[in-house]
Amino acid sequence: MHAVRRILALYRPYRGRLVLSQVLLLLSAVCTLGTAALNARLVNDGLLAGDTGVIIDTGIWMAVLGVLAGLLLAGVAVLAVFFSQGTAYALRTQAYASIQGFSFSNFDSMRTGNLLVRLSSDVTNVANAVLFGVMLLMYAPFMLVVSLGLAMITSPGMVWILLVVAVGVLLAAGILVPPMERAYAERQRRLDEVNSALQENLTGVRVVKAFGRERFETDRFDDRTEALRRPAASAAFRVALLSPVMNTLTQLGIALTLLVGGERVVAGDGTTIGQVTAFTQYLSLVVVPLALAALIAPYLLRGITSAERVLEIIDAEPALPPGGSTEVEPRGGARIVFDHVHFGYGEGPQHDVLHGIDLVIEAGQSVGILGATGSGKTSLVNLVPRFYDTRAGRVSIDGVDVRDIPLHQLRGIVGTALQEAVLFQGDVRENVRFAAPDADDERIREAARASDAYGFVEALPQRWDAPVARRGYNFSGGQRQRLSMARALVPRPRVLILDDSTSALDVATETRVQAAIPLDAKGATVVYVAQRISAVIDLDRIVLLDEGRISDQGTHEELLARSALYRQIYESQLGPVGGGAR
Amino acid sequence: MSGPAATARLSPPRDTVPPGVVGRLFGYVGGRGFRLAFWSAVALRALSVVALTAVPAITGAAVNAMRSSDLPALRAWVAAAAASAVLYLMLAGISELVMTRLATSATMRLQRDMFATMQRLSLGFFDRQPVGQLLSRVTNDTESVATFNENAVSQIMRGVFQILLIVALMVVTNWRLALAALSVVPVLLLVAAGVTRAAGPAYAKLQEQLGDLSGFQEESISGHRVLISTRRQAWAQSQHDEAAGEVFRTASRATFTGLMQFPATMAMTTVQMVVVLVTGGLLAADGQADVGEVIAFVGLAGLLASPLSDLSNLATTTLAAVAAGRRVLEIVDDVPTVVDAPHAAPLRFEGGKVEFRGVDFSYVPGRRILHENSFTALPGQKIGICGPTGAGKSTIINILTRYYDVDAGEILVDDQPLTDVTIASLRSNVGMVLQEAFLFSDTIMNNLRYAREGATDEECIAAAREANAHRFIEALPDGFDTMLVERGANLSQGQRQMLTIARAMVARPRILILDEATSNVDTRTEKLIQEGLGRLMAGTTSFVIAHRLSTISDADSILVVDRGRIVQQGTHEDLLAQDGLYRQLWTSQFKGRPAGS
Repeated sequence: MHAVRRILALYRPYRGRLVLSQVLLLLSAVCTLGTAALNARLVNDGLLAGDTGVIIDTGIWMAVLGVLAGLLLAGVAVLAVFFSQGTAYALRTQAYASIQGFSFSNFDSMRTGNLLVRLSSDVTNVANAVLFGVMLLMYAPFMLVVSLGLAMITSPGMVWILLVVAVGVLLAAGILVPPMERAYAERQRRLDEVNSALQENLTGVRVVKAFGRERFETDRFDDRTEALRRPAASAAFRVALLSPVMNTLTQLGIALTLLVGGERVVAGDGTTIGQVTAFTQYLSLVVVPLALAALIAPYLLRGITSAERVLEIIDAEPALPPGGSTEVEPRGGARIVFDHVHFGYGEGPQHDVLHGIDLVIEAGQSVGILGATGSGKTSLVNLVPRFYDTRAGRVSIDGVDVRDIPLHQLRGIVGTALQEAVLFQGDVRENVRFAAPDADDERIREAARASDAYGFVEALPQRWDAPVARRGYNFSGGQRQRLSMARALVPRPRVLILDDSTSALDVATETRVQAAIPLDAKGATVVYVAQRISAVIDLDRIVLLDEGRISDQGTHEELLARSALYRQIYESQLGPVGGGAR
Repeated sequence: MSGPAATARLSPPRDTVPPGVVGRLFGYVGGRGFRLAFWSAVALRALSVVALTAVPAITGAAVNAMRSSDLPALRAWVAAAAASAVLYLMLAGISELVMTRLATSATMRLQRDMFATMQRLSLGFFDRQPVGQLLSRVTNDTESVATFNENAVSQIMRGVFQILLIVALMVVTNWRLALAALSVVPVLLLVAAGVTRAAGPAYAKLQEQLGDLSGFQEESISGHRVLISTRRQAWAQSQHDEAAGEVFRTASRATFTGLMQFPATMAMTTVQMVVVLVTGGLLAADGQADVGEVIAFVGLAGLLASPLSDLSNLATTTLAAVAAGRRVLEIVDDVPTVVDAPHAAPLRFEGGKVEFRGVDFSYVPGRRILHENSFTALPGQKIGICGPTGAGKSTIINILTRYYDVDAGEILVDDQPLTDVTIASLRSNVGMVLQEAFLFSDTIMNNLRYAREGATDEECIAAAREANAHRFIEALPDGFDTMLVERGANLSQGQRQMLTIARAMVARPRILILDEATSNVDTRTEKLIQEGLGRLMAGTTSFVIAHRLSTISDADSILVVDRGRIVQQGTHEDLLAQDGLYRQLWTSQFKGRPAGS
């Protein structure tokens, strides 16, 4: 119910419209019921009495009321659509704004798929619930009450029939709808199973074919679809049954009315035929909204659950505190110091992946961080632009703790080419100047030359305007890495971090890029993260990480001479020391 | 001078739905094998409509009985009305039961057919279509067809029957009143058609915009690291809000237009009732109709409104289903490009000699990838393949396993051309360990067993031991019964690699292909993997695609590939001695400096 209050709070500035929508809805219901009341008059005083004047007179009034009811309902629809789509808009933009405030660790704890579902189908669920809520929530009870009231005035002896039918409708809905919901949920679950099995099969198609297991896969898929069929059929059957059941209940109610009313008419207790036919109309006026209400109840409940899920995102706090206000120099190389740095992705020392790192990187140096998978290389460099904060110890730039630098400035002076080279839909130019949207073409070309992207971009038919597909899928891994390095270079950062950014390049290209980047970066401090020795061999200094600790540091020659671990890595990649190239 | 050629069209040809699609979709629901069930359901539904329509007709009679104070007749009529209401429910229930079963099983069969075709299709098919697009065909498109099967088929039948029956009944009872009652129908239809016509494009636009919006959300959320590191969150937010604003406007318009159906129908139904009552009243005053008839007509006219608006709504569902159905059937009808020749015989395996004779190959016609490649691998040899990225190394492997057929030239295994042997016998003799270690979400044991139908647990465990995977598997809480999560993510990359080696061992291949697999693992794991690979390769003819040349320096022969051609072949020593690409590649690894000295 907390979610309902929060959603209603959104409507505070629009309170007038909300009230108006319900007033219009009730007026529309009154008009509809008015036609039913006039119906009695038309039959009694017109049809049965043979008075054509009354017939025409009443008929005109009925038609007017009917059209008015329709118009009023259209007005309700306008407002209902406004509230439903407005809620969707508000939730989407608020949730997305909250997501844009997330830090890396927020994202680590929430999966992309999950966030996307909340932004799309959960928002849609809320919008539907609001639409139904505004248009129908008050309608059914109101119709029931007023119909009962009218019936009470005109034919109090038959009111019980109305109640019996209403109870019948609610009972039938109670029996049909919940299993329908369960069957739908089951069907959805099975459908997800079928789809994920399918996705796996399609992604692994080479393995399937390599081992010749097409037949096996087909049989397995058949089993899964068979499991889907049962709940699907059961859900569809119940949906299909709903309308015949409601029809039958209405017709039975009419039959009952005719019997009871007819006996009264014949007995001559003052009941008129017009009252009887009007009463049959009240019946259908009550059954339809009640049946609708039963149908929408699950949507409303689903909407509440979904609203809670969206609000969870809106309320999520960014895991990273904002930076301080100490500005640092905007240009030149930066001296980076790691001082007793401990860091882990969980709370407490037992989850640490970095154990007391002490490291000084001098301004303008090119330093390589080398180590096996899981040795903590990426974790280490991510602390510099504050993608994460240390658990203990501090990282500083030019002697200023990174937490004291305004976050916006910090990320401006530290440029990163991330491990996963992701591009965005758009064109090549936009992507390369993504970090500095004002950069001119000259700067873009320079950066692209340094990262060896210039050649292949110029070879594209549309060159810098060439389209980039979602996530950059229309470029190869190596091309994406080169564009991603250019993107990091364009704003001329003081610290450039290249996180395994040359892994998809062949060694010759890698060498070229490594020679060109320091020239372009003009004195910036460059940190390379690598698994391949060839990527760090030429640098001023290599820092060797092993299980979250600095095992050794020095130049290639120094390390080869004194570090057993370094030699081991070297031999596994390039063959025995002293052998190889002669 | 042929006659028909001379006739000119007076109207441009219309873009009509090919009858094939509708017919075949219908075939899944009511085609051979289901005809009896389908048409019985149709017949039951027709009867149920008769029973439903009887109720208002009987009501009229009951009112007349009231007027003449004929109590027994009134009771009889009421009993008849109640009976036909119950009968209606039973008939409709049985018919719906049969119908929904037919519809869901039709959807299931369509999905199965599509999946079975996909399994038969050659790899070229999967290159052309991204996985996401294929998935959407199987899921969204079959879903759309399913909606049609489940709702539309029975609604169309019911609607048409109900309308025909009611109109017939009206005309027979009193044609003047019938005319009055039906006079509103054209207006109703116009309104419904107008709504459909306006809402259809609005919804289509909405779907498109929603697709764009969620595409942007997906891209920006999964690429959040880049957004954060380049400080573009505010930009992303404004882009998003703009797109969300467009969705708001389009959705408001679409939803509102769609909703107009209800007030319009409501108003028109009342007008219709009034028309019937007034006309009936005037006719009755004139003696041309009786009161009971008029009351009956009001009821009948009420039954007319809902099937009419249902039918006009169905047009959209049907068109969507036909479009989706066409895409689905396109896959069902696709034919694999790589198939067994009619005379194909199982491969007679001798020692594992592999020969390429002047092989040309292209994935896309006109863009040749391989040019006139020839080489011979003798039984038991280890052949290294190296070259720059994009040179065509993996392509050589793709055609050796006949994932694709070559354009020209010939590939022979033990002197039998690949085109003369069955694909199944070829692939069961060729094992692969690919760069991307793909595992299924299943138990470790089932993943190993996947390689060969009928492999025993013991064989799988033995293979795991040989591949050095045994130790870490035993250390897992459930051992060989451990479930791997999607794409094997709960294992390290090295462990996954060892599992794929073990899997290849279970298959007992005689020709082996290794796409160098050890790029991202620590040295200890790499050593274990190399040991496993060594055991796997013993006694097989093997092809190793190398990115790091040290892995193939001991090969019997090395093929150096550049731009689709084998430019050099020979042993490591021979190739180093030559001034060629191999020496360049080898020295560039060391950046021209004497290693370690």
